[in-house]
Amino acid sequence: MLALKNIQILYDRAIEAVRDVSLEVPTGQIVALLGSNGAGKSTILKAISGVLYQEDGEIMSGSIQLEGEQISGRTPRDIVEKGVLQVPEGRALFATLTVEENLLMGGFTRSRAETSEGLERVYQMFPRVKERRTQISGYLSGGEQQMVAIGRALMGKPRLLMLDEPSLGLAPQIVDTIFDAVIALNRDTGLTVLLVEQNAQLALQTASYGYIIENGRIVLDGAAEKLRANDDVQEFYLGFSGGERRSMRDVKHYKRRKRWLS
Amino acid sequence: MDFFLLLVATGLVSGAAYGLIAMGFALIFKSTGVVNFAQGELVMLTAYISFSLYTTFDLSFFPLMLVTIPISMLIGLVLERLFIRPMLGEPIFAIVMVTVGLAVILRGVTIMIWGPDPFNFTAGIPTEVVYIGSVPFYPAQLYLIGALAVMTFAGWAFLRFSRMGIAMRAVAANETAALLVGISVSRIHAVAWMLSAAIASVAGVLFAANFKLAPDLWFQGLKSFPAVILGGLDSVIGSAVAGLIIGMIENLFQGYVGQGLREISGFIVIVIVLMVRPYGLFGSKDIERV
Repeated sequence: MLALKNIQILYDRAIEAVRDVSLEVPTGQIVALLGSNGAGKSTILKAISGVLYQEDGEIMSGSIQLEGEQISGRTPRDIVEKGVLQVPEGRALFATLTVEENLLMGGFTRSRAETSEGLERVYQMFPRVKERRTQISGYLSGGEQQMVAIGRALMGKPRLLMLDEPSLGLAPQIVDTIFDAVIALNRDTGLTVLLVEQNAQLALQTASYGYIIENGRIVLDGAAEKLRANDDVQEFYLGFSGGERRSMRDVKHYKRRKRWLS
Repeated sequence: MDFFLLLVATGLVSGAAYGLIAMGFALIFKSTGVVNFAQGELVMLTAYISFSLYTTFDLSFFPLMLVTIPISMLIGLVLERLFIRPMLGEPIFAIVMVTVGLAVILRGVTIMIWGPDPFNFTAGIPTEVVYIGSVPFYPAQLYLIGALAVMTFAGWAFLRFSRMGIAMRAVAANETAALLVGISVSRIHAVAWMLSAAIASVAGVLFAANFKLAPDLWFQGLKSFPAVILGGLDSVIGSAVAGLIIGMIENLFQGYVGQGLREISGFIVIVIVLMVRPYGLFGSKDIERV
């Protein structure tokens, strides 16, 4: 469904945030993009949504294609209308609006009928959100806010849903609820999902395929089970130290070597 | 007692003008984050345009407004396109300075076209005095208060119930998130300027009808500032209410304390408000979760 080819992104025409990244999200699958802080994950999502310009970012080369159609350079609105919706990092709700108003805005590009239909669907999926619908969204708990943020994106009738660190700052139980909802959406409606996470464990359990990004470059990719079994991933992302401890010097050397090779 | 009632009544009238102008400020600030220093000039320009329409076609008040408002909205749109849109992404302060420049330009253009002499402009409103209780009113005064009531209600309903109005609040709350749900932020900015110009024209015409149409009309923009601050910069409804309060405070100061204090009293209110409640009576404190 979505294919990035050799994307390079600069901020302020000087700082290279993403270098030569290619990735593919096949229709109907959940694909995870993993990496630590500042690796360029959110930058990639912003590039897909077309909102890089807000931070003086620019796609210098490469292409972003949605089902074979070039979407880089389109306005954010066009991209939303094509069914690519993002749940931004840290929820980014319209804090002064009520929950229901937030959801209604999610359907801004859709017709009135589609919006009220979508509202029903979101309320059915997250009964807690329905209970809170007249409250000012800024005062909700983090988990409820994340539900509203996902609901808001669903109101836009996504074909591809991009989640930017949905687990950030949430209690494990809530994280489970939210990931279950995403998995259910994928299973029941065939929604394609691009999941950006720092929590590799969680992401690789949810996704069928994963990419690992470091310093703006994809260093590893493969089927989720394979990544989970990969020694490097276990060591650097899943926190298994595999028997005996290695000295930090070896690790550094190893990581350096790894980067040059990739 | 009669003296007090009279002061309050005339206070409400000038307060209604402040309120309308302040609403225009708030509307632009709310959705774009820019304090539009050309708001007073917008009031002046649209009032003069309305005056020309009036003398050319000899319309009565409502048809006159029916023509003036769309033209004003067009002017708002054009100004936004010409002066503000190209500044998108620049620091807010730079944009505010552009509005200051715009203010000077509009003032110059208005005087160039219509000349520096004041006009009498009834705007097609009857001039016989009407009594409400024991207080005499000119119809134009009642029209002004009525206009504020109508605009406040319309503004409230617009922001509360219409898609465009909610979108405007959404943009104010989080611009990036607004883009991510497909709201065209630049279109919202344009709409804010159009509506603000429409309100400015109502304020301008009715102010001119109450007093006179003179090039110093732009100064009302600055004089409405206490109302904007008191109401909270980003509260459209708050500005309307605050306008009335400021109008009354000014009049009561003038009546009971001294003539010269009229101009100052509003700004004393600003200072007090900024010290005690910097976000105004109705403005939004940022919601922060701890």
